[in-house]
Parts: sequence; structure tokens; C-alpha cells
Amino acid sequence: MNANLRDLFLSTFFAVVLGIVASASLLLFLGKNPIAAYTLLATSIIRDSYTIADIFVKATPLILTGLAFALPFKASLFNIGAQGQFYIGALAASAVSLALGERLPGLPGILLVIVAAMVAGGLWGAFIGWVKAKFNSNEFLISMMSTYVALAVMNYFLRTALMEAKHEYPQTDTFAPRLWLPTIFEGTRLHAGFILAVLFALFTWVLLYRTDLGYRIRVVGHNPTAARLSGIEASRIYISTFFLAGALAALAGVTETNGVQHMLVQGFNPTLGAEGIGIAILANANPIGIIFAAILFGALKVGGNVMGQMSGIPASIIEIMEGFVMIFVILSYFVRNFLATRRAKRVLQKSLAV
Amino acid sequence: MINLLSRALLMSTPLLFGAIAEVFAERAGVMITAIEGIFLLGALGGFVGAYLSGNLYLGLLLAIFTGMAVAAVYGWITVYLKQHQIVTGTAISILAAGLSSYFMRVFFGTPILPLTVEPLKAIPLPLLSQIPVLGPIFFTQNILTYAIYGIVPLSWFILYRTSLGLTIRSAGENPEAVDVAGIKVDRIRFAMVLLAGAMGGIAGAFYSIGFLGMFTTNIIGGRGWIAFAICFLGNWNPLGVLVGTLVFGLAEALAIYMQSSGTMLLPNELFIALPYILTIVLTISRKSFNVPAKLGIPYRKEN
Repeated sequence: MNANLRDLFLSTFFAVVLGIVASASLLLFLGKNPIAAYTLLATSIIRDSYTIADIFVKATPLILTGLAFALPFKASLFNIGAQGQFYIGALAASAVSLALGERLPGLPGILLVIVAAMVAGGLWGAFIGWVKAKFNSNEFLISMMSTYVALAVMNYFLRTALMEAKHEYPQTDTFAPRLWLPTIFEGTRLHAGFILAVLFALFTWVLLYRTDLGYRIRVVGHNPTAARLSGIEASRIYISTFFLAGALAALAGVTETNGVQHMLVQGFNPTLGAEGIGIAILANANPIGIIFAAILFGALKVGGNVMGQMSGIPASIIEIMEGFVMIFVILSYFVRNFLATRRAKRVLQKSLAV
Repeated sequence: MINLLSRALLMSTPLLFGAIAEVFAERAGVMITAIEGIFLLGALGGFVGAYLSGNLYLGLLLAIFTGMAVAAVYGWITVYLKQHQIVTGTAISILAAGLSSYFMRVFFGTPILPLTVEPLKAIPLPLLSQIPVLGPIFFTQNILTYAIYGIVPLSWFILYRTSLGLTIRSAGENPEAVDVAGIKVDRIRFAMVLLAGAMGGIAGAFYSIGFLGMFTTNIIGGRGWIAFAICFLGNWNPLGVLVGTLVFGLAEALAIYMQSSGTMLLPNELFIALPYILTIVLTISRKSFNVPAKLGIPYRKEN
């Protein structure tokens, strides 16, 4: 195996292990036995098919928000607003689902919901790319702020037009069952959204490495000056990349509303966007790697939840695990870089010695 | 009206602490993208210290220490290990979110009613507070708000009129020159990150013990990022930052006022979103930015 690739796998593996160990040590503050707790975590996630399937249920939106960060990242753009694009997607999916009711058969209905959500989220994202292209605005700030605006928009609709018939809670009525994403394993919550998410990860890989647009995206990211000199219009890349990112994050909205909850609930999944960034980092922004990184985060979430229910450990341990894993992964970049430099130096010294 | 303006000044206080913190760090070349996490853990530290000791000032002290501890981790990874600032900041902010609710549980278990402390009181300044209109607005504030009257001119003076300020600005503009002068660039940068941690910790504590008297895990709600934005919008200048924070403080006071006044002319959510919309509009409309040349770029000595 290539030495750099070996370093990549080994260092990422150690980073994940260290992240989990670091978070486990915090359990001592609560007087819990970390080894017992993490044994429980490891055994509980493989307890039955329902729990195993739930790992993939949790991984589904994470794959998509991970891609929503990774794709612009390849063009050296920062999309910190996947959370907001996700909310807009969920909102559009809910509005269309409630408006459709039983009017269309399942498949065309679901397709319409998906298209509507992806277009809505895509346009929400494209705005960021547009102001970057037109006014050279800082996309990091704009995308960050757009999340809070999206949250306010969603809350407004949940209080008014989309509020449930009983008018009690800020949530919608349940969607018509024909618009639910079909379950792919009987007796579990695993729905077709997971397959969609994996397909879109493959699509993103193909887009980035096998198409003209993907090539342009990478050139703009790698060397903007060279891109301009070779006639690539950066402004178009900004807009299309952010449109795609917004659409991907919005699809996560569909998988959560139509796949898991079958309704829209105020303030749900508030950490998907940030976790997506973590997953993209863990996977080195590689779309295929993102699938596996998302499954790892999904397992941490499921395990953390079960651990919390069974041993009274607060669910915030999940965020702590994710945070520590991310930090150790960043440290592993440093270690890898150090090893690669040392190797290069040795090769150089050898060739000089001869 | 007087009430609104006084409230606006109050609400701009933590933003000013945070934004000035960013100015110093970014002038030296480091974006503090962990600022949301620094605010949050500062708020937690402030509350824990104040609640357990019964003294708000010990709370503030603990907030400063927590802020600096978070900043030290951030600075070590970004300044010394030269890792990506936005990525590291995001990781730290996620971790901070988890740690804040975890340590609330560690310290206080799961209380039925939210725990509270008596927040910082307004101290009317003798004589000055008697001035009509100006008195209630400017001279009947708490001690942290009074502090910003000193911090703005002081930070401007340090940055533009002292050799230390020149060194700080050079670390962000032309680090090679600093290096040649025999000053360690990374040391300057790390010191500025620590300073930002201390000020960001105070800013966070302002929300928990300076204003609300309690801690909730969503207490910061993006205010760290707004302080980050104000630093950009204020063109990395303490005076520009002052204008920015006052505008945002006013927006926030207006939002609170409109929500509590009960007039439903416009949806509540619009006012909640106002500071964020304002940031977007201002970011788009600002044209000439004076970005420190090496902002966000780690300094590597040429071999």
C-alpha cells in the first residue's frame, strides 16, 4: 500500500479512537465507569436489527450535509449554512407534502416533494454564491447568518400557515402515508432516503472528478488565478456550486420530514449542519469517504442515545464525542503532514548520498 | 425611547468585547472562528463560578479562565500546528456545545426549576446619572458596559500609537518583517488568541450573569458569530467596531422591545432574525475592506 494512504487510514483510525477515549474520560466527572459505559455503547448498537438500521437512518442526512460542505470546499468556498438550507428543504418538502395530500400517487408525489425541496434549498444556497460572485461578499459570513434567517422563516410558517390543525404545538400535521419515503427493511425505520443519499454521494464524486464542471470547481479551488487565465468564470462556479450544496442539504430535509418524522417539528435536528462539516473533515472532503464518516457519526449518535437511556449519561456526550473526534482528526492532519515531510526528506537525503 | 437606547447600549456590550477580541487576533493574522464556543463556555464558566461562590466577580474570573483555556486549545492547533482555522473553530464550537450541557449536568444535576443568580446591577454614576436623557442612557449601566468606554479608546491607542500595536499589525500584514526583527510571529499571534479568549469569555459571561442571571445551552445563539461579523464590518478598526456594535445592540433591543410590546404589526420572527439579516445586508453592501493581508494564513518560515 502507498505510504501516504497507509498513514491516512492509520492516523484517522487512531484519531477516532483517541476522540472516543477522551470523551469517555469525561464520564469520570459523573462518577460513571467509562469502560462499562462504552462496552454498553458497543454492544447496544449491535443489539438488534432495529438499532443497526437506525445507524443508517441517522447517517442519511449526515451524508448529505457533509456533501453540502465538501462540494464548495473543493472550490475553496465555505458553506457553513447547510443547517439553514436543510431547514428550507424540510419546509418546502412539508409545504408540498401537505398541499398534495392524497392527490397524487406515491412515486410522482414523492418525486415532486424532492424536486421542490431541492430547488428551494438550492436557490437559498445559490443566493450565497450569487452575492459572492456579484459583490465579492464573504460567503462564510453570509452562509453562517442565513441559517438563523432560515430558522426564523421555518418558525414563522410553523406558527401560521403550516401549523397543525389542532393549533397546539408548532408542528405540522402528519403527511399522507403515500408520501412517506418507503421503508427498505421491514421492522426498522430504514427508508429509501439512505439509498438516495448514497447515490448523491456517488453523483458528487462523479461530478467532481469525471465532469467538466467538477474540473472547473477544483481549478477555481486550487488556483483561482490560473482559473481566470484559462477562461473559467469563477462567478458561475460560485453560483452553481452553492446551488448544488443547498440542494444537497435540502434533500436531507426531505429524508428527515418524509422519511423519519412524517411531519415537520420546530427546531428539529439542530446540529446536522455542524456535524456535516465534521464529517467532511473526517473524510478529507472525499464524497465516498463521507458515506463512511457519516455512518460512524450515525453509530455514535445511536450508541450515545442508547447509553443515555440505559445508564443516565446525558445525551450531550454525543456532541462531545463528535467534537473530540473532529479535533483529533485535525491533529492527525498535522501528524500525517509531518510524516510525509520526513519521508520526503529521507528520500532526498538518500538520493544525495548516492 | 430612553429605555430602548439604554437597553441598546447594554446589548452591544458583549458584542463589543467579542468584536474587539476579534480585531486584536485578526490584526495579528488569526481569525477566532472558535468564538461561538468561547462565548458559550465563558457563559457557562461565569454562571458556575457565580452560582457556586455567590460572587459575580469570581464568576467573571472563571469565565476569563474558561475563555482562555478554549482559546489556548484553538491557538495551539491553528498557530503552532498550523491547521485550518475555520475547520478547527467549527470542531471546537461543536465540542463546546456538548461540554456546556454536560458540565451543567455535572455541577447541578437535573434541577426542576432553572437555577438563577442575581445578574449584574446597574450602578448609577453620581452626578452624571442625573443629567437628563444622557444620564439614564450612558451613566446608569452595569460595570461591564462602563468598561467599554475605556476599552474602545485604549484598544485604538494600543493598535495605532504604540510599538506593540505596530508589531501586532505587522504580524498580520507582513510576518516576515516581524520575524526578521527578532520577534516570534507565532508568539504574538498566540498571545492575541489568548487575549481574545479572555475577552470572549467575559462577553459570554455577560449573557449568563450580566444580563439573564441564568444559563441555558442556547444562550449564545449565534452572537459569537455576530461579533465575528462586526469585526469584518468595522474594518478591523476599534472605532468601526464601536459603530457596528451599537447598530446591532439597537437591533437587538428593538427586537426585544417589539416582542414584549405585543403589537403584532409584523411577525415576531422578523425581529428575531433582524440582527442576522442586518449582517447579511451590511456584508453585501460594504465595498472597501481593509483585510489584514495574512489573515487566516499560518506563518511558516522559509527553509
